[in-house]
Amino acid sequence: MSSKLVREFMADSAVQYKGLDAVKWLVGKEVQVLKYEELEAEEIKVRHGIVAEGFTKQQISIVGFTSVEWIEAYLGIATTNNTAVPLDAQMKAEELYELIDRSDSAAVFLSKKLEATIPALLAACPKVKKIWLLEGEPETASEEVGSLAALKALGEKSDADAAPTAEDIAMIIFTSGTTGKSKGVMLSQGNLAENVKALMFSSGAGVPLLNVLPIHHAFCLVMDWLRGFANGAVICINDSFMHMVRNMGIFQPVSMLMVPLMIETVYKRLKNADPNVPKEIIAQKVFGGKLKLIFAGGAHLDPYYIEKFKEYGVAVMEGYGMSECSPVISANVPGAFKPGSVGKPLSNVELKFEDGEILVRGSSVMKQYYKMPNETNEALKDGWLHTGDKGYLDEDGFLFINGRIKNLIILSNGENISPEELENKLALNELIGEVIITGENNGLKAHIYPDPDTTQGMDETELTEKLQAVLDEFNSTQPTYRRIVGLRVRKYPFIKNATRKIKRTEIDRDEPV
Amino acid sequence: METEMKFKQLLTQYTGLQPENISNDMRFREDLSMSSLDFMTLLGDIEDEFDIEFEESDQVHITTVGEAIELLGRYL
Repeated sequence: MSSKLVREFMADSAVQYKGLDAVKWLVGKEVQVLKYEELEAEEIKVRHGIVAEGFTKQQISIVGFTSVEWIEAYLGIATTNNTAVPLDAQMKAEELYELIDRSDSAAVFLSKKLEATIPALLAACPKVKKIWLLEGEPETASEEVGSLAALKALGEKSDADAAPTAEDIAMIIFTSGTTGKSKGVMLSQGNLAENVKALMFSSGAGVPLLNVLPIHHAFCLVMDWLRGFANGAVICINDSFMHMVRNMGIFQPVSMLMVPLMIETVYKRLKNADPNVPKEIIAQKVFGGKLKLIFAGGAHLDPYYIEKFKEYGVAVMEGYGMSECSPVISANVPGAFKPGSVGKPLSNVELKFEDGEILVRGSSVMKQYYKMPNETNEALKDGWLHTGDKGYLDEDGFLFINGRIKNLIILSNGENISPEELENKLALNELIGEVIITGENNGLKAHIYPDPDTTQGMDETELTEKLQAVLDEFNSTQPTYRRIVGLRVRKYPFIKNATRKIKRTEIDRDEPV
Repeated sequence: METEMKFKQLLTQYTGLQPENISNDMRFREDLSMSSLDFMTLLGDIEDEFDIEFEESDQVHITTVGEAIELLGRYL
């Protein structure tokens, strides 16, 4: 494989883009900056520190929110032969511990906000030997608990190193699966390098982009951060969804990576602005004045928005990918763009179709799922990845998606929900006989057939109230995107197939069998 | 009253409804068709407009316009 590994292109960028801003972020209302050569210097300290602490060829989890410390830790790991395991810091504690443990992580970079959970984490994950707080210093430092700052101080005095090869696993990304248990996608150094190389579309060195997606997602990490660094982009951190519009004004990005839900939110602002104000002025106010390009992915985008944003001088380019492909499979780019499609396949991937299902082969396709041979064999056959999506290529070579084979619910904010996982939990409640979760209008809906024994004698109102209370209690334990916002109470059991499994295609039929 | 008017003016950016047509018992999601992200960016607008900072735990419990105005009152 000839593509440059993360370590190599970061070193190149430190020279080629010396003096340019690499990362910008806000502390209060002040903008902070790290230049390309400074970023690499920090990355090298972390790298040496990790190896000096004795970690080579091991998994290291990162649990935190988008920050310059997060990316320093990530680059520190990714430029050694260790494997980074980025995890969602908003996950429920038990689920987080399960993934840290299942990934066999030997160390964890942890957000300061989660410091109080350290004793529970260490108890639940006996293979973890070291925790470094991403920000600040621990309340009580110990042999097991340190900080990123102390790790860098150690690395500064050490030349311990363990350079990666293209075959080393750079990252394990956990993804939702239809089996209900999330799968760890193993991506090699070479997989990532090839995807970054194939994505070499650039707005130019020194051009700002605003990072608004969660950094632990492959789509964000590779498209925004790694691709951005390889191209000399100025990556600006949006500290909160709440302030996305304000931050567009502060950082004045030229391009952004978004999921459809964000595009819909921004569109509402455009649509509801005073009609007497010229569109250029509205665009300036909403987009910060420089935005030209939005890359969209993670879920289907209605082409309506592409037309509408064009009126305000912003091109929306849709792409398609999945973690298993590092993650981008195809993308619209300026010069090769067809609204409604997800663009042309990248130069390093081949596509073929089996009963309409999209199969992908190429140098950015994952090696396997971590310790899940059955799931790996199901997804990868003869080197072809079965995406579970249906689609076709048109006469000009643009890919169109027209359905999903799997039951996985992809909300328009890009989050993947495995319905079976939620159903299994809800089914434990004694009032619930059968339950199916669907995705509707950007939210989740529970279709429930009440248990006839436990709900005997209840009228419709009482039943609905009781089931709603069950959902409310369930929701209080879930992150926002996994909350169930709709409820439909059934009169009759679901229609089943020969093996007594509920037919998901017929859940709207509510009649006696 | 002034706070309520200012708040409802911010809401028009998401709903297209004039402030006088927004009643306090309206629910953000069901009646005003706002997504969770619309709601979060609305909170951001409020913080900027009124120069306040919400506690994360407070944000979870708001479902209606009236509840948001009441919460806002506690910060001013």
